[in-house]
Amino acid sequence: MEEEKIEQAVLAYLKKKGYRQAELAFQDEQQTHRSLNSSSGGGADGGGGTTTPSMDPAVANSIFLYARADGTLYKEGYSKLRSWVHSSLDLYKNELLRILYPVFVHCFMDLVAKDFPQEARLFFQTFREDHDTLHLRDLHKLEGVLSPQHLQESELAVAFRENKINIRMCQYSFELLLQYLHSTDSMLMLGIVNEHINIQVFPGQPSPLPEEEEAITLTGKPQEALDSMNQKELRWGTLEDSLEDKLEKELAAEAEKAEAEGKETEADDMKKRTADGGKAGASSKKSKKDKTGTSATGKGAKSDSAAAINAPRVKPDLPMPSLAEETERQVLEDLRNRARLGSNALPSVSFYSFVNTHNSLNCASISADGALVAGGFSDSSLKVWDMAKIGAQITSGDQGTANGVVSNGVTEPKGVALENSKSSYTLLQGHAGPVYAANFSPDNDYLLSCSGDCTVRLWSLRLNANLVCYKGHNYPVWDVQYSPVGHYFASASHDRTARVWCMERLHPLRILAGHLSDVDCVQWHVNCNYIATGSSDKTVRLWDVQTGECMRIFTGHRGMVLSLAMSSDGRYMASGDEDGAILMWDLGSGRCVTPLLGHTGCVWTLAFSGEGSLLASGSADNTVRLWDVNASGKTSRTEEKSSGKRRLRLLKTLPTKSTPVYALKFSRRNLLLAAGAFSPLKTSVTTG
Amino acid sequence: MSIVPKDTIHVIAQSIGISNLQDDVAAALAPDVEYRMREIMQEAIKCMRHSKRSILTTDDVDSALRLRNVEPLYGFASGDPLRFRRALGHSDLFYVEDRDLEFKEIIDAPLPRAPLDTSVVAHWLAVEGVQPAIPENAPIENLAVPPETKRGDAHGGGPRKEDDGAIEVKIPVKHVLSRELQLYFEKITELIVAGSDTLLLRDAFLSVATDSGLHPLVPYFTQFVADEVTRGLEDFPLLFSLMRLVQSLLLNPHIHIEPYLHQLMPSVITCLVAKRLGGRAVENHWELRDFTASLVAFICKRFGHTYQNLQPRVTRTLLHAFLDPKRALTQHYGAIRGLSALGSRVVRLLVLPNLELYLHLLAPELSPETQQNEMKRYEAWRVYGALLSASGACVYEKMKAHPYSLPTVSTSTRPKIISPSRKRSAGTELGQPSQKKSHVEGGLLASDATGSVTEGRNFDGGEGSSQAEDVDGSKSRGVESGSMDDGGRRLGVEANRSNERKSFSLAEAWKEDVDFGSLLLSLVDLFGDSMLPFIPTEEMSLFL
Repeated sequence: MEEEKIEQAVLAYLKKKGYRQAELAFQDEQQTHRSLNSSSGGGADGGGGTTTPSMDPAVANSIFLYARADGTLYKEGYSKLRSWVHSSLDLYKNELLRILYPVFVHCFMDLVAKDFPQEARLFFQTFREDHDTLHLRDLHKLEGVLSPQHLQESELAVAFRENKINIRMCQYSFELLLQYLHSTDSMLMLGIVNEHINIQVFPGQPSPLPEEEEAITLTGKPQEALDSMNQKELRWGTLEDSLEDKLEKELAAEAEKAEAEGKETEADDMKKRTADGGKAGASSKKSKKDKTGTSATGKGAKSDSAAAINAPRVKPDLPMPSLAEETERQVLEDLRNRARLGSNALPSVSFYSFVNTHNSLNCASISADGALVAGGFSDSSLKVWDMAKIGAQITSGDQGTANGVVSNGVTEPKGVALENSKSSYTLLQGHAGPVYAANFSPDNDYLLSCSGDCTVRLWSLRLNANLVCYKGHNYPVWDVQYSPVGHYFASASHDRTARVWCMERLHPLRILAGHLSDVDCVQWHVNCNYIATGSSDKTVRLWDVQTGECMRIFTGHRGMVLSLAMSSDGRYMASGDEDGAILMWDLGSGRCVTPLLGHTGCVWTLAFSGEGSLLASGSADNTVRLWDVNASGKTSRTEEKSSGKRRLRLLKTLPTKSTPVYALKFSRRNLLLAAGAFSPLKTSVTTG
Repeated sequence: MSIVPKDTIHVIAQSIGISNLQDDVAAALAPDVEYRMREIMQEAIKCMRHSKRSILTTDDVDSALRLRNVEPLYGFASGDPLRFRRALGHSDLFYVEDRDLEFKEIIDAPLPRAPLDTSVVAHWLAVEGVQPAIPENAPIENLAVPPETKRGDAHGGGPRKEDDGAIEVKIPVKHVLSRELQLYFEKITELIVAGSDTLLLRDAFLSVATDSGLHPLVPYFTQFVADEVTRGLEDFPLLFSLMRLVQSLLLNPHIHIEPYLHQLMPSVITCLVAKRLGGRAVENHWELRDFTASLVAFICKRFGHTYQNLQPRVTRTLLHAFLDPKRALTQHYGAIRGLSALGSRVVRLLVLPNLELYLHLLAPELSPETQQNEMKRYEAWRVYGALLSASGACVYEKMKAHPYSLPTVSTSTRPKIISPSRKRSAGTELGQPSQKKSHVEGGLLASDATGSVTEGRNFDGGEGSSQAEDVDGSKSRGVESGSMDDGGRRLGVEANRSNERKSFSLAEAWKEDVDFGSLLLSLVDLFGDSMLPFIPTEEMSLFL
């Protein structure tokens, strides 16, 4: 590289940019430099290079780039990098492959930013196939970006520009990469890697996840912050003094009593035996065995029911509302009669089909006892059906009770079409936009609904009237949910925030901001101290209700997160996305326990059974699937460390008759209630 | 570079009144248009997801536009997703059909039916993990097919492989037909559809009626019959062949046809009481109806006791056709033939009580003065003949059973036979019920002794009588056509003097111990001397 050439290039650059001062300074410098050069003679070059700041060829290269102002360099650079990665050692290839996608995106955006739309489009089309499988949705969004202005408007582009992508790779892979980038003078690629990628180097062998390609998800936080955040202490246990807790105590007291009685009778027996004399030695042994047997079964039963409740107890951070005594008694009664579910004891599923919805049903919700069903429609209306009443009408109308099956504490009209549908529901009108979600309060007195008109409304089911309209969101509200104890509720919106409210106040108590795109769903933790939110930015976040801080960020989804569910012991969370994948998370560690794959359509809804042994999922592919969660619950802790991840078992697939499943709910007695809109298939494309 | 070509921008510009858009302006606008489109689509997809749909609608696009503070597009509202049509000659060009509508048509059209209101229906999707087989759940075939395709996907898709062990795939039970049976079925159906080679066809029916091992084909045959009957109502020989096929199937002793009867019966009944059978009027559809009637009777006789509601249902259908005055005469004919083929009991129970009223209705159709259409009149006479033979057969059987009651009848009928002019006197003579009644009762008492014997013979007697009826029927037809004009005139007169007793005796005809003499009397009243051939010969000779 001839120095004069460089100097000329630099001068040309400075002139072009109009840096007169710098140009003059540069020329001055040159003068002095020349004089120095001439004074020290030719020996200086070989001497040590201390005097001549020997120009790094790479630097020269980068300066040339500006001079050449050509879009083809990106393509060259990227294709070289790509072929190098693909021909690298198998062991490290996986880690190196991860770097391609961010480099690709940034190359493209650089081209757009430098106003080479044609080259940008060409570049995009040439290499997009590599990333189609993993990042199809992002590619769709990026494809349209063709001018620098779009770069500033597209939320995805802004997110990419403003946040560094976190990539983990081992020491050796990193060295390989650096070596390559330096040795081939690919300044451009090096610049992109330095500027936009946050490579996290860890010592030792590359991560043993050959089949698992980690989804690259922007979180808006550097990896270190993310790690430290996910290490924050989380008290994931169940609520202290909850009803389940009370039931537990009651059961324990009963068991004790029974044991005491048993002891008494045993004592009596002993007395008798001693009276009888030693002849009954054998029989006494037998009775002892019997006794141990019974106590063991008693204990077994107790420990079984306690299995879900062996989670730590947590004190609530929020002031808790008090529950009416009557409802409390009822709930306790229900819990006492809860059917035990497991891999060999599957639940009964009662399905509520909405018929004649004319494609306008947006959401469905079922009350905790299954007696009420609400549907939110795109014509802004909200309709509530009282299934218990309808069932009673039908059974009284019929000769016998053959049609009304009382099971698990819920009266079900079985397969009987409603004759007088006119009067069968309560119409709640008030919203001015499509109703996107509805949620019953735990005591069934209230109903919350949220809508495209940016409001959340509270309805009284006793008065059948609107009580409050909560305004606060600036964009459509996608989801709303009551806290497990009622009184508080959370909403999720297109304005990228989730908000926490209480029923008595018109303004939100907390605003949970941080998601990079819409917040699509919201889910309370069982102990009311946390709220989980799922978003279109493909992350699930867990927030502390009291402080409003983000406690965990879960990355791994490849599409927008549509549904969330918390296990009853508060330890696990399930999330479903639009591709049909369900991920199971351990809240404590912030890691994915296992993916549950099988659905072929959006997972609209998820529900854990009462004691947390089953997970039910409902999807747009017209099925309800039941997953065995217990297996993972017991083994995950040990197996996660030893043999990596373990797949959970799909227990059962229950297809419906062309009815996508919109809502699922386990009643307190573990009857699974499901709802969906019956929508017979219609072909939308015909050839003419 | 942009997927929106410059020309599109020009077209859009022209549509809003800018005709001289610079080329470079259009080129600069194109990428922006594409970007905005994508942006709106992205938002619209979000709205679609939150409405829990998988098909994008115009509403979603409107919501997306509102989200971006753009005025939504009006005039595209539709409850259903738009139906796109593929443009001819282009593989990836679609358009929405948008027809011109006439305001007048819309205004004049009757109001559309109000859409049904939304309601909720509950059913059990699963009971303790097992899906009950109820109509609300997906049918078994649907259950079995999707997993197969899914499994195929899973093998391609990679990560599902490990799950395969856990998924139970139930393969549907397939009905396997051997190659020979398939060939046989094809051959038979071809023959029937072609319908030309009568000799071969007869052999084919013989084969169907006798071959063992045809049972697997029964569902296919029944389906074939049902399909062809609905398709070929115009094709008389085809219908006849089909009915003969049904008969052959019924006759085959190796076939267990009961489970398919419910599929077979509608086609058979169609061939009996359809308004038009065969394309042209000349074709002898009467014969087909007669044949089918005997087929129905055969079915009822054979399966009546195992399927209690079979005969009642058949009779109800036929009676319905018979009593509906709006139906065509051909339909009435079929119904009457069908009813009479079911036996004299049915005739007495259902036909005779309605006979008088019906004849009253039929009368204008019979006479050439009131019914100009020759064809119609012929049909009417056909119906008349059918009624005559039905009631005649009934009389015949009754007389066989109670031969002693005859003499009383002879006295009253004779004047009528002698000359129509004495009818009035006969009418006055008829007013002597007490005397006759005692007579008949005496007869009945006497016949009680032989009652057990006649009961025992009843079944054979029934068959015998049906044969006799056939013979008589054809005979009477010959007679009837000869005395057509004569009868027509007489009927007109007779209809006038409907005396109460006659209708009473007809209404009471279904009773076992009815005053039979008066029944016969009233029948003769209605039909005149055409009734005579039905009176058994020895009795005839007795009173002649």
